[in-house]
Amino acid sequence: MHRSRLVVAVVATAALSLLAAACGGDSESGGGSASTGADLTGAVFATGSSTVEPITALAGESFNAENPGVDITVEGPGTGDGFKKFCAGEADIANASRKIKDEEVQLCKDAGVEYVELAVASDALTVVTNVDNTAVSCLKLEDLYGLVGPESDGVATWSQASQFGATSQLPDAELKIFAPGQESGTYDSFVELALSKITEERLGEDPPKETRTFGGLADDNEIIRGIQSSPTSFGWVGFAFAEQAEVREIEVDGGEGCVAPSAETVADGSYPLSRTLYIYVNTAKAAASPALQAFVTYYLDNDEQFVTEAGYVALPADQLEASKAAWTAVVGGGSSAETTTTAAG
Amino acid sequence: MSTLLTPPDEAIDAEVANSVASGRSMDAKGLAFQMALLLALLTALAVLVWLLYSVVDGAIPVFQERSVGDFLSGKLSGSPQRFGVSQGIRGSIGILVFVAVIAFPLGVAAAVYLEEYASDNVFSRAVNVLVRNLAGVPAVVYGLLGLFVFKGLLGDLTGGSSLMSAGLTMAILVLPVVVITASEAIRAVPQPLREAGYGLGATQWEVVRTQVLPYAAPGILTGTVLSFARALGEAAPLLIIGTATGLLTTSGGSILSQLQGNYTALPMLVYVATKRPADQWLSLASASALVLLVVLLVANSAAILARNHFEKRRS
Repeated sequence: MHRSRLVVAVVATAALSLLAAACGGDSESGGGSASTGADLTGAVFATGSSTVEPITALAGESFNAENPGVDITVEGPGTGDGFKKFCAGEADIANASRKIKDEEVQLCKDAGVEYVELAVASDALTVVTNVDNTAVSCLKLEDLYGLVGPESDGVATWSQASQFGATSQLPDAELKIFAPGQESGTYDSFVELALSKITEERLGEDPPKETRTFGGLADDNEIIRGIQSSPTSFGWVGFAFAEQAEVREIEVDGGEGCVAPSAETVADGSYPLSRTLYIYVNTAKAAASPALQAFVTYYLDNDEQFVTEAGYVALPADQLEASKAAWTAVVGGGSSAETTTTAAG
Repeated sequence: MSTLLTPPDEAIDAEVANSVASGRSMDAKGLAFQMALLLALLTALAVLVWLLYSVVDGAIPVFQERSVGDFLSGKLSGSPQRFGVSQGIRGSIGILVFVAVIAFPLGVAAAVYLEEYASDNVFSRAVNVLVRNLAGVPAVVYGLLGLFVFKGLLGDLTGGSSLMSAGLTMAILVLPVVVITASEAIRAVPQPLREAGYGLGATQWEVVRTQVLPYAAPGILTGTVLSFARALGEAAPLLIIGTATGLLTTSGGSILSQLQGNYTALPMLVYVATKRPADQWLSLASASALVLLVVLLVANSAAILARNHFEKRRS
């Protein structure tokens, strides 16, 4: 009798103390500094691209310091997963490392979710190989197509890329591909920027929007490790990843000479594989939530600071102005119908 | 055939036992076998030490740049300088509370019923087989359960991708382990103990409460240790249910609203940090993994201390 009561007591005490510990941490963040900033309250939930996640997280952190009453959650399951949630009305903001796809536009439309597309940063896809692979320093878009285009499934060495239109002299060495999987926005961006034009020329209207088949890797760090592991590796990663790793960055020739990826060439658009990173904001939720409105305004006003801190390239001034204008039209104009239709069209 | 299967020869066994006991040199085969066993042990140990070393070694850069307290009290962040694990620790402890409050009593109760009350029929045997198989089901499958049931069906109650969804999923995930270990512990209780109880006129309930459970407590607690470890370390179900990985700011609220709110957990922090660029983030992944190991160690030692306490009482 005595003992069994003790069992119960021990378990109950343990559970209660754990619960107390679990909830205890919260009072400090809640009480904190209600004196600063406006009395905004509410919640903001951003999902989507893990590439854009750090930018939005930095914006949220900074915004929260001034508006502690606003709960901000940022997660990064990937651009595609993000749009699924966003179009189901589960999220206020979708971070995206590419533009919304037609089927996702339809998904949002079917669910009655209206949104505005805001460009927030520039990024580049950096084509990389092993540091020892000095035989390759610049690739044309045709070469990229020959190496990993949808036709090139049988290409086993770099030089065999000439079968499918590669024009550069490439080494007769084994081609080992380490690149992102199809679920990644970085994969889609590469198909769009490097392959889509030539695919269309060679395979006609409505070409496959994909590369050859290869074992896609889940994240850029894995790709970097793969690239480093083989002397004749080939792949592509986000600019921020390539810059901070020991890999050989290959210049890309989009028809106007070889250009190396850098903050300057990305910003002025001369690097052919530059892409824009976006946030998509649910306009109905924005209209209903002053906290969401204030957050996005704050995000765009201080955009450059967050983008640089996250290791990306700031958006050209005119594009950022365009984002701000689009956003002002949503918040200021009241009706958001026009922005939505242009974005969805 | 008979040459392949050497029958156990008791004379040889006795000789080996003698030579071991007296410290005389053993035969070559026996020595080789002993060496092989030792090698296996050393290999396992070496892997473990190497793992610990690589985690600690990877984490060192973080603690050279900032204090341990700073890292422990830091929150999710887009900046590697500010990234910290406090929210991960909170989330993981929250999940453990769910495991302790739901899986533990439920699992032990189920085990008591199976071992003490249920008659040995087709039904109870089927349940036994089922539970044993459930214990081997991969964590991602439980993640799907969490996605469809706790996040989908019961979304209004749990709040979707919330601490409650994660905690409930983890509780269900470890339930079979708790049931099995508790069953084993109860089965190991000597029969005379029960008979003595009945002999004194105790009812079945009294025997279970005053004899069986106290005697089985150490074994049951071992099961809890295992289940805590599993609930703490699993990332797959959390990935499926969804956790905050970029930023999580909360302004408090009632306990219920916190349970229904967004959360993050230590294994997710490790996962997220490995996906970000630069070595800085990889160091943060190691440091987070180190914290996860320490939390696991603390949770385990608490359970082991409790077990020792009960063992002492028993003897």
